[in-house]
Amino acid sequence: MSGGAASPVAVRYSAVGAPLAALAATALFVVGAVAPIYAASEFTLRIGNQGLLLGMLALSVAFLMNQAGLVALGAASVYGGAGYLFAIGINNWDLSATQALLAAFVILVVYAAALGALIIRTNPLAFMMLTLAAGEMISHSVMLEGLRDYTSGADGLVVAFKGSILGLQAADFANPVHFWPLAWTATWISGLTIRAVRRSRLGAVLRAVRQNEERMRFSGFDTYAPRLMGFVLINAVAAVAGLLHVLNAGFVSPDSLGLSLSTNALVSALIGGVASAAGPIVGGLIFAFAQDEFGAYGVTQLLTGVAIVVFIVLFSKGVVGGLTSAARHLRRPSDPKGGAR
Amino acid sequence: MLEIDRLCVNYGRVRALDEVSLEIGGEGVLHGVIGPNGAGKSTLLDAVSGRRRPTQGAIRYCGQDITGKSVAWRRHRGMARSFQRTSIFPDLTVDEQLRLVAWRLGDDRLDEIIQALDLTDYLREPAGRIAYGVQRRVDVALALIGRPQLLLMDEPGAGLSAEETLHLFQHVRALVAERRIAAVIVEHDVDAVFSCCDVVTVLDLGRRLATGNPAEIRADARVVEAYLGSAA
Amino acid sequence: MIALLVANSLALASLLIMLSSGLALIYGLRDVINFGHGALYMLGAYLGYSLTLVGGFWLALLIAPILLALLGVALEYLVLRPLQARSHIEVALVTLGLGIILGQILIFVYGGEARSIDAPAGLSGSVVVFGLSYPVYRIFLIAMGLGSCAGLALWLRYTTSGLHVRAVSQDPSVARMMGINADRLSLLVTVLSAGFAGVAGVLAGPYLSVDPGMDVTMIVDCLIIVVIGGTGSIGGAIVAALLFGFVQVAGSVFLPDLAALAPYVLLMAVLLITPRGIGRGRAPA
Repeated sequence: MSGGAASPVAVRYSAVGAPLAALAATALFVVGAVAPIYAASEFTLRIGNQGLLLGMLALSVAFLMNQAGLVALGAASVYGGAGYLFAIGINNWDLSATQALLAAFVILVVYAAALGALIIRTNPLAFMMLTLAAGEMISHSVMLEGLRDYTSGADGLVVAFKGSILGLQAADFANPVHFWPLAWTATWISGLTIRAVRRSRLGAVLRAVRQNEERMRFSGFDTYAPRLMGFVLINAVAAVAGLLHVLNAGFVSPDSLGLSLSTNALVSALIGGVASAAGPIVGGLIFAFAQDEFGAYGVTQLLTGVAIVVFIVLFSKGVVGGLTSAARHLRRPSDPKGGAR
Repeated sequence: MLEIDRLCVNYGRVRALDEVSLEIGGEGVLHGVIGPNGAGKSTLLDAVSGRRRPTQGAIRYCGQDITGKSVAWRRHRGMARSFQRTSIFPDLTVDEQLRLVAWRLGDDRLDEIIQALDLTDYLREPAGRIAYGVQRRVDVALALIGRPQLLLMDEPGAGLSAEETLHLFQHVRALVAERRIAAVIVEHDVDAVFSCCDVVTVLDLGRRLATGNPAEIRADARVVEAYLGSAA
Repeated sequence: MIALLVANSLALASLLIMLSSGLALIYGLRDVINFGHGALYMLGAYLGYSLTLVGGFWLALLIAPILLALLGVALEYLVLRPLQARSHIEVALVTLGLGIILGQILIFVYGGEARSIDAPAGLSGSVVVFGLSYPVYRIFLIAMGLGSCAGLALWLRYTTSGLHVRAVSQDPSVARMMGINADRLSLLVTVLSAGFAGVAGVLAGPYLSVDPGMDVTMIVDCLIIVVIGGTGSIGGAIVAALLFGFVQVAGSVFLPDLAALAPYVLLMAVLLITPRGIGRGRAPA
């Protein structure tokens, strides 16, 4: 699960294949945005949308875990929090839809920066528990009687906005067919951003800090700022996913915030593979469809547990990582290094 | 260059360093620090490099009191250290980690270091998979990046054979002389220290016992009694 | 009023000490968090329930920990040892997955409603202590807690294996260099940890209830305690457990709406003051 850098050999290869890969990616993007609209049923698209958003959440968890060695268990609280903030913006603060979106996003980014500033300095286990604590505190405050006017407690909030965002009406967002290209695009943007960061200096520094934080300080690095940046970045992605979710669902409830959603995101990341930007997205899709397939809650939970074990012990690279690795072996059977970035 | 002024470091109730005063000067000078187990040698390096806060006393570097300064701050001012327990980046290749640190410290003369420490053959290897002796050299190489003025080395020969240790010392001595670095080397291998170092300080039970050139130290009765007598 | 508060805190803390010291031991030794620890506790509780129905409380208290200790052996040999080479996060996640599976199996077998167990005949009812009428069972619980605390302290302080555990927890690489057999120690620690989870599970029956969510609640609580206590510090974990117990009980009395948040607030507060936790655990690397 270590985030290795590309070997010099792979760099040479990509210099040759890069334009080809870019072309293939563009084709995939276009086809993926359009084809399902015609080929898939509305029901399938509905699940696909869920999968993409779950995938974005998984992407944020995976990035920090793989690059910085930190497990952010509170990811769902930002996802759901975005929904609640949007709802509050519309219902309680009388903001326009676009204003509410921006307000929610900004508040969450500030929150992430503040929380990160407090907790990044602790050891990884403490960090994880602190993100859990923060997440649970948010979950709990949503249920508080005192805030019922804002959050409707356990009932959840229906969110309906008038007017439009970027020319789209509320009904458009709720329509699975119209929503799919939007979710698809947002997913690609998140994925490419994360991928760019992985390959950037920030990614290299995060990986090095993960391996030996002390030596990084002794080599003149600030080990605090990069991790804080990574933390804010992933929370921004989670916030975007959460906003898309509330626009699509028109509804937000404590379930969108809870620990089980964070766990689902984690499992999705493991299934797809944490060592790439595409992996968690694919994992999210797989998880969403599997969850639909296996219905009952208890079975889903059991399979979640099984998936965690299977995808760490047996298929530690995940689906995407495994496929990438296999492809590399086919191309160059003697390459000892299978690690993707 | 480096002034250690009545430094005290306590671990709980244990006095690891007791009013140690020492001056390290001189570019190109190798200053060895020896002493029996528990003498406080590593603690001295930890305090000077910023890894541990002194309980009392001051550390002055180029005239400036640096006692409260962070580790990264010290590194940028030219104080570098290597570690007794090899501290490298196991999943990065040798080349990758050297380049990363070189980027940070603004050093474009990596090749000299790589050649001087014989790392050319290992550049593409993940550091976690190379031989222990080579890892030690990577540990030292990381400390040499960025043209440090003061190099602190904590038992560079730890886990190496006597021959490997001597070899490493000779590498370091050549580099130090050439680059006019002041080096402080904490070491267990007394022979290596005596053959390569210009000045030797002996610590015992947290106190500085003696400082002088190797011949003087060898002859010093207190040192013989505290340390060399038992080893000889 | 204060006395009642203290007594209830001690009762809760007794359970928490048994569980979190087991978690802390494995963490100190292997740097791995057993996320399935809550599920082991839950297993102990449900086994305790079944065994109590069959042969009474005391039989349950005897048999369940033994069964769990055996499961601990399996955990050591089938999970912890084979995965030794993997990163700590990965092993921890595997224990999480296994814990989820175990939890689901228990729900499948026993159904989703809570079960209650009555205290055994010898320990039921209340007794007057310091002018207070207090349940006998809780006094028993406190006694068990103190006993296990004392036992743990004695073991760590005065036996060779205890010394070795402390050494490895403080500084794993040095301890290995000195020839301490970490494998055998690890087996011992894992078995003890699982066994104590079993004891705690059986004891929890008449005190709390036996319900499907108990594994998650307990692992979160234990994790908070271990983090507050500091890596590798058993003493720290014990102090943290006492603190936690008090905060939890006081919270439910004085601020019932916010009581569920008390542990998290405690966690944040402690870590803000001492980022490394209470105990003087592992020396900085």
